[in-house]
Amino acid sequence: MSTGAADTEQITIPDTVEELLGEEDARPDTPWIVIVWNDPVNLMSYVVLVLQKLFGYSRPKATRLMLQVHHEGRAVVANGTREKCETDVARLHGYGLWATMQRDD
Amino acid sequence: MAFRPVKRRRRDGRVVITLPAPVAQLVGKVVAELGDMLTAPPDGEISSRLFPRAYLDPTEEHAEQEFQSLVHGDLVRARLEAVAAMVADLDAARPVGSDRVEIVLDAEGEHRWLTVLNDARLTLGTVLDVTEDEPLDFPDHDPRAAGAEMYALLSALQGELVEVALAQLPETGTDDPAPS
Repeated sequence: MSTGAADTEQITIPDTVEELLGEEDARPDTPWIVIVWNDPVNLMSYVVLVLQKLFGYSRPKATRLMLQVHHEGRAVVANGTREKCETDVARLHGYGLWATMQRDD
Repeated sequence: MAFRPVKRRRRDGRVVITLPAPVAQLVGKVVAELGDMLTAPPDGEISSRLFPRAYLDPTEEHAEQEFQSLVHGDLVRARLEAVAAMVADLDAARPVGSDRVEIVLDAEGEHRWLTVLNDARLTLGTVLDVTEDEPLDFPDHDPRAAGAEMYALLSALQGELVEVALAQLPETGTDDPAPS
């Protein structure tokens, strides 16, 4: 990396950015996503049923998401705040689906 | 064991399942075993399949602990209640003819049968190391052969119940936000 002219600025700016990112709620508005992962046990028809029942998705949409899980190994099935996603994940676990959540970076 | 569960939805919305009596007994046995397994601490793999993490990100360990502390107890309790109720459903099965029994399920019963059958399959599937690519096929003398037969039976029964449940759901969605 080449050294620029404004040495002092290059020192202070990264410190500030690091401080900001280090704060736990630095990105409070970042949406979260809920992911369902493929597993060899759950029946394809059962996954469609659960996605329709839990999220009110249409049959075609629930089927599309199920096929994405099946073929690509995972699919984003819902999104929202951290709290909403935790509720969704808990309900999916209640149905025996393998679901996790993460920031939508 | 080859069997054909006869199922239909009555006009009052209840689902009627007819099973050979020995099959109903076997299902009751495996469901009761699931209950025992839920009360005793299961091994790592089964536990992490029945009670997965919500957060994969290790930096979210605090949130994960909080999530589990809120959810885990309720999930164990709900599963045990469903298991006990399904065992009761099977005990209360009405004999039909000389060798079959009939079980009538309301909406709640239908839900618990679907989820308990799924939990039993998750447990058995983990023990048997089920994969998507190869069908379970063990030689008769293999101790896993009976488990594989049971797994196939539970899968067939759950598949039938899912079919009647899907037939009742509308094709259209009520809430259709496209997840990004």
